[in-house]
Amino acid sequence: MTHDDHPRDDGPGQAAADERTKPDDGSPRTDGGRATDGGHAGATGELPATGPAEEEHHGFPPMSSVKRWFVTTNHKDVGILYIVTSLLFLVFGGVLALLMRVQLWAPRAAGEGILSALAYNQSVSIHGLIMVFWFLSPFAFGFANYVVPLQIGAKDLAFPRLNALSYWLYLFSGLLLGISFFQGGSFAGGWTMYAPLNIPAYTPSIGASTAILALLLFVVSVTVSSVNFLTSMHRMRAEGLTLRKLPLFTWSILLTVWMMLFAFAALLAALMILSADRLAGTTYFAAADAGGSLLWTHLFWFFGHPEVYIVFFPALGVMAETFQTFTGRRLVGRKWFIASMLLVALQSFVVWMHHMFLTSINLQIKTLFMATTIGISLPFDLMVFSLIYTTIKGRIRFLTPFLFSFGALLLFIIGGITGVFLGAVVLDYEFRGTYWVVAHFHYVMVAGVTALIGGLYYWYPKITGKMYDEFLGKVHFALYFVGFNLLYFPMFVVWETPRRVFEYDPAFAPWHKVATVGGFVLGASFLVMFYNLYTSLWAGEDADSSPWAHSTTAEWAIPSPPPLENYPGIPSYGDGSLSFLDRLGGSDRAADGGEVTDGVDVAGDHATDGGVADDRRATDGGTVATADPATAVERAGGKSHEHDAGDHGEGHGPSHASIWPFAVSVGAFLTLLGLSGLQEGAFAPGLEGGLYMALTGVGFLVGMASLVAFGRERFHGLEGPFGESWPFEGIENTKTGVWIFLASDVVLFGAFIGSYVFMRVASGWTTWEIVPGDPLPGLMNTYLLLTSSFTVVLALVAAEKGSRGGVIASLLTTFLLGVGFLFNKGIEWDHLFHEGLWLDTNVQASTFFLTTGLHAGHVIAGLIVTLYLIVRAWQGAYLEDSGSIEYFGLYWHFVDIVWLFLFPLFYIL
Amino acid sequence: MIGGGTLLGAPLIAAQTDIIPRGSRSAVFNQIYWVFLVLGTLVGVIVIGYMLYNAYKYRAGRAAGSERSAESGEGGPALGELPQGSGGGRKLALSFTLSAVIVISLILWTYGTLLYVESPPDAEESMEVEVIGFQFGWEFVYPNGNTTTGTLRVPTGERVRLRVTSRDVFHNFGIAELEAKADAIPGQYTDTWFIANESGTYQAQCYELCGAGHSYMNATVVAMEPAAFERWYANTTPANGTTNASPEDAATTTASTNHGAKADVAAAPGATAPRAAALETNAAEASAERSLAR
Ligand code: HEM
Ligand SMILES: [Cu+2]
Ligand SMILES: [Cu+2]
Repeated sequence: MTHDDHPRDDGPGQAAADERTKPDDGSPRTDGGRATDGGHAGATGELPATGPAEEEHHGFPPMSSVKRWFVTTNHKDVGILYIVTSLLFLVFGGVLALLMRVQLWAPRAAGEGILSALAYNQSVSIHGLIMVFWFLSPFAFGFANYVVPLQIGAKDLAFPRLNALSYWLYLFSGLLLGISFFQGGSFAGGWTMYAPLNIPAYTPSIGASTAILALLLFVVSVTVSSVNFLTSMHRMRAEGLTLRKLPLFTWSILLTVWMMLFAFAALLAALMILSADRLAGTTYFAAADAGGSLLWTHLFWFFGHPEVYIVFFPALGVMAETFQTFTGRRLVGRKWFIASMLLVALQSFVVWMHHMFLTSINLQIKTLFMATTIGISLPFDLMVFSLIYTTIKGRIRFLTPFLFSFGALLLFIIGGITGVFLGAVVLDYEFRGTYWVVAHFHYVMVAGVTALIGGLYYWYPKITGKMYDEFLGKVHFALYFVGFNLLYFPMFVVWETPRRVFEYDPAFAPWHKVATVGGFVLGASFLVMFYNLYTSLWAGEDADSSPWAHSTTAEWAIPSPPPLENYPGIPSYGDGSLSFLDRLGGSDRAADGGEVTDGVDVAGDHATDGGVADDRRATDGGTVATADPATAVERAGGKSHEHDAGDHGEGHGPSHASIWPFAVSVGAFLTLLGLSGLQEGAFAPGLEGGLYMALTGVGFLVGMASLVAFGRERFHGLEGPFGESWPFEGIENTKTGVWIFLASDVVLFGAFIGSYVFMRVASGWTTWEIVPGDPLPGLMNTYLLLTSSFTVVLALVAAEKGSRGGVIASLLTTFLLGVGFLFNKGIEWDHLFHEGLWLDTNVQASTFFLTTGLHAGHVIAGLIVTLYLIVRAWQGAYLEDSGSIEYFGLYWHFVDIVWLFLFPLFYIL
Repeated sequence: MIGGGTLLGAPLIAAQTDIIPRGSRSAVFNQIYWVFLVLGTLVGVIVIGYMLYNAYKYRAGRAAGSERSAESGEGGPALGELPQGSGGGRKLALSFTLSAVIVISLILWTYGTLLYVESPPDAEESMEVEVIGFQFGWEFVYPNGNTTTGTLRVPTGERVRLRVTSRDVFHNFGIAELEAKADAIPGQYTDTWFIANESGTYQAQCYELCGAGHSYMNATVVAMEPAAFERWYANTTPANGTTNASPEDAATTTASTNHGAKADVAAAPGATAPRAAALETNAAEASAERSLAR
């Protein structure tokens, strides 16, 4: 498919003058950036179409401007924002930890010490949540944001605005969590949030709901980010960078993101159900005779175990990179290292029940999960040995980044060995719920943190262009390492202390005192770090492009800090090592390359920036009532750009600025803050309830308006391929994004359906009372939806034939059929309601209404998009490029297929 | 340690019954724990020692320490190269196999014990007590229907089986010194057992965060000589608990009839009114019990 109206003009031709630049030449301001333009189509608009390379150009504010940080969509800026924000959360979580350590100075009777019982429980819970969710992963993803595009040779991620959106959603979810403390106390049920302690009957404060909603928003942010990273990493790698040749840090992130996509979808389901229980009054987790409590443990740990690797893998990647750089040796057994990671990533989804050995699961299942657990520990042995052997015959320079990585490996070995204890079920029986577990997971997870801090020192010169102070770096390490072991090793010694308890055997007190001292030493070490990194921003020596000998990856081949669009040309490994080309394929393969660039990036609406990929957020909205329609508009919105494309002759590289991600996040923040005031589906009467209701309304409006603006904004992202795109060569970015998103949506629905089946089995499959007494409305709806899928296909055919009337007619029919579906459902629900069946009636009703309601939310989101498509079709769009209709079709068929599962499950069986 | 240690060795190991720890839970736990601890320490010391030794041996000299001069090191990774590994696969495979053998054989060894723990041979003969967790305390229902709160009396030297459940939220019943532990889940029953060989007082605790009173959600386990236990038990009645109970027992005993009734467990969320009160009494008891235990 070629599109004449696409501004491909400025690509190869203009950049042809550029020489093939070798990496170390690294002059930042080359125009080469432009050379890639062939790759990104789309157009500019009101928004600054920032020219290649120059940040100061075309109205994109410089780094010193505050405005820059609110509008930026550049991956490096977003990376910095992630890193800085996550460090703030580290301080937050660290202060909570120190409060706990002070409380644990001596065993306390109730009311003794600085924390009340509930305050202690809140500290434990929020400390855990912050460290795992708001600190550790985002810290790693700060580096991922900054470094991965550089390592794969891309100018930015596939959907830069979605990247900014992920960040802002993350930040605002964190603010929400902070606010929860002031709403009658935050969540106090542990980071595992076990049911039914997590429902309002036992944790009634509004703040507890807010904390859950904050986590929900965080998960949305993660999902947006996962889709974005996966699309980018699969579609936009430089020539020669096949998956097997990816640098190890990038490999670790790739696998992390795949795990995130699926694991967080399960958590999303869990949190959506929990939110419904807390806010709307469904009765999933209160249903003791339907296994509600166990259901939570399954949902949570199905997410929770992969999460362990999600937080650790990036650290592993950093260790692999720094070990190679600072020993001056390539990784021993690189192939096996990668295979091990791959194995772990896959297997991480089949070990979750090892967290449930003490529940009522039977011996066979215990045996199975014991086996998978041991299985998953073995690849780590290999990785550890691989790192150790890499040091042999090297010339090791003990600079700060390496010290931290090396220390991390040491701590990880201890964490790993103590983990084998837990894998022996008989021992786990006794360790469960004690400080053995606390010590073990801190040794593992904080080993991850240790490596990432190594990463911070490693990339600090790249990011800031300044060297940190090496002496202070070493001081930091010394304090850190001593503090760490003082803090956590005593926990092994007095492991019999029960977890999440501040009253313990007085004989253990001396060891707990040592731990508390260690905690403060560890805290102090961070003060050294902050001081060092802060002052070095001004006082540090200038860093050249690669301050480290033996660094290999592409980020070191360009100046520190890198220019806005990263490379002085198209990075390529085509001839076996990194070079920068004027155009893809090199001069020798110019013709070919050109074709790749122009030909493959088909539909040319890459400006869509994610479009449908967003939809699930939208639909979630259906349940948590955030702005679906607007997202939908966004999705289709991108499509409009191609028509303006022709207007802009020259000089548009990718865009770098949009305020809408920020605005959308503000809307989501206010909406969720408002919703936290809900209980049993209603706001409390009186001023407070009114305030919450108003917040919800305002937030909703802000969110919607911003989403519409987001959709209408002209923004061009990037479109691959720039070389390697396996396995999505022929599927352009937006479509890849849609597929990836749908994959996570499958897990979401899978978790909902699984929950239903689980509860039904637990309470007796045959005795379960089917809620809709009459299957007829459901059957009618099945026909309506199937027909509507067919009409979407017709719309696509019509578009390809160039028939405007056909497109409009088919879309309109789709729309009407969809409305018919909802109408029919409305009548059905109304009937049920009058029969006395509603969300909170019993668990049968809860599962029925919530699961089919989630589906209805998907339908509503789809209809809003249809409406947008109709309007656009009326204006004559889609005849040349039917991409939008195709993507929408994917989504719509998916929604249909889901119904084909729901209908028999809920109406017939 | 154990010969073979491969997968094939499993039945072999299982056959050598004397290798597999059996007995009271504490005895079983201690044997396994110490083997793990010694081996774990050994492996840890060796691996970390080796790691430190290499790090020391291959450290760059002072002169070569500067990044500039390090660059000239021959044959190391170079900027812009396609990522690749270095050899050493054989060594890696070897150490991997070794570690796998150690880990797998250790776990298989404990698996025999797991089988034993999961289905103790004389399960039928022993006494079974139902343990019901609530915010924030423990209720015990004996086979004769006698119900006590806060104190569990058991005979020494005999296996006592527990069926554990909860009336409200997720708890976990554990007796640290006797190494017995089980989740207390509303609507579910989990089984465990223990043997108290010495008479005396032990402390049971909650091992799953369950609310404000979690830190103090204790119970006392009193192990009595079988004869004394029999005397005590014979005097208990289903309706009003014990007749010769210790004072604290009398104070907290409730005439509960709801043990095992699914409906009651299911009604959990409603049954939370006395939470605050329970927390207070428990806090008071806690300090008393702390002096009892150990
Ligand atoms: C930096 C990375 C850290 C991570 C990822 C982390 C993670 C966690 C998690 C997940 C929990 C469990 C929370 C729960 O049981 O609900 C926890 C508990 C705890 N952490 Fe951390 N933590 C970190 C650092 C620290 C530090 C620096 C300290 C001490 C100064 C600390 C002290 C504690 C304490 C005292 C508990 C409570 C243990 C218990 O009673 O169960 N943690 N941490
Ligand atoms: Cu796990
Ligand atoms: Cu508890």
